[in-house]
Amino acid sequence: MAVKTTYSSNPQIYPAVNEIKERIGNIKSKAIIYFASSQYEPNELADTMQSAFPEALTFGCTTAGELISGAMLKNSIVVMAFDGDSISDIKAVVMKDIKRGNTVREAFRCFESHFGESMMDMNVANYAGIILVDGLSGKEEEIMDTIGDLTNVMFVGGSAGDDLKFNSTYVFAKGKAYTNAALLVLFKPAAGFSILKTQSFDVLDRTLVANKVNEAERTVLEFNGKPAVEAYAGALGVSPETADKYFMSNPVGLMMGDEPYVRSPQRVAGGKMVFYCNVLEGMELSLLKSGDIVKKTRDDLTHALEELNGASGIINFHCILRTLQLENEDKPQEYADIFTDIPTIGFSTYGEEYIGHINQTSTMLLIK
Amino acid sequence: MGGQIKSLIDTIVEKRAGGDPLLERTTKTKLMLKGINVWKYSADSEDEPEVIERLKVIAKEIGINL
Repeated sequence: MAVKTTYSSNPQIYPAVNEIKERIGNIKSKAIIYFASSQYEPNELADTMQSAFPEALTFGCTTAGELISGAMLKNSIVVMAFDGDSISDIKAVVMKDIKRGNTVREAFRCFESHFGESMMDMNVANYAGIILVDGLSGKEEEIMDTIGDLTNVMFVGGSAGDDLKFNSTYVFAKGKAYTNAALLVLFKPAAGFSILKTQSFDVLDRTLVANKVNEAERTVLEFNGKPAVEAYAGALGVSPETADKYFMSNPVGLMMGDEPYVRSPQRVAGGKMVFYCNVLEGMELSLLKSGDIVKKTRDDLTHALEELNGASGIINFHCILRTLQLENEDKPQEYADIFTDIPTIGFSTYGEEYIGHINQTSTMLLIK
Repeated sequence: MGGQIKSLIDTIVEKRAGGDPLLERTTKTKLMLKGINVWKYSADSEDEPEVIERLKVIAKEIGINL
């Protein structure tokens, strides 16, 4: 069984892909997943990657930074290759024009036809799903909600980035690049898998109830019956004028027991707060306080690896806000070192997918 | 009368998860993300018509007959 990772920081597409092909070597790849800086022309990159690995299903997306075992990178391409002993079957479906409509049902019919099983009846221990979404589409919640309605199979992934330019993001599949699109990949890992969701926050005993929201705009108008910013600032004990300085260190969490599903404030708009993901009317959210990303990730990953009894590869969908926090704390290398011993790739996302759409989290797929 | 909401939540979770603890937790999380606070309701909770209707819609969306 072989899972192999490599990367290139060569700014030219052809030399970069050639380097990658040489380093991957002669394993017979069944699937190639790659995450690439937006500095690479997306259509040319997708075509070149597929041409370099004609026997494999190639797929991936653009990023806001890349991750590989032992290094957090910028302006690079990171790649993970799977051979047929690590993945017994795989199918990818691109959902186009997602801003206009949700085509999860059609995508699922493709999977059902390929695997010969109903999505609702699939054994969740045998199938793993990956989702990559245009990170500027704002459609992640809707897509994840429909996926959750139609299957128990877990889809984990991230929202594509564009190096914080916020112009356009792309998903790649089978030699083509797509914007305003989402990619669903369903596969059967040959030896098992698990999913890890990890975030690094302490839960404070202060709650904010969203009384008035604009769901489509990911905006909260009122918390606790007051203008959202005023209530948030009051809960933190700071002035509304300075509230946005605390957004990264003090997001809010929808609590599932003691586990937060983080919703990160993006900006103030008048007295309103715009978030990076949905807050629904009536949601009760706990105020959070950021902690040690490196320690929490290492602890959670160690636990997950013990439960799975080791992994041959990890795909890490890592929030860009976590990357920025690590950079502020001068800890990117410490974070990357967590993954030194296991072939790992990942990218800095514009949002993470796990059951729903979340922020300031890493969702990881651990392949045994 | 009371406790209808808790009963509906329990039925949805039971039918969707089939007794699998992992799927029970996943289903509860899906309900939370759809705006239903699964921790808030007990057998004594008031029957809030809006929440009951929302749960019926959710059950239909996820293919569960109540």
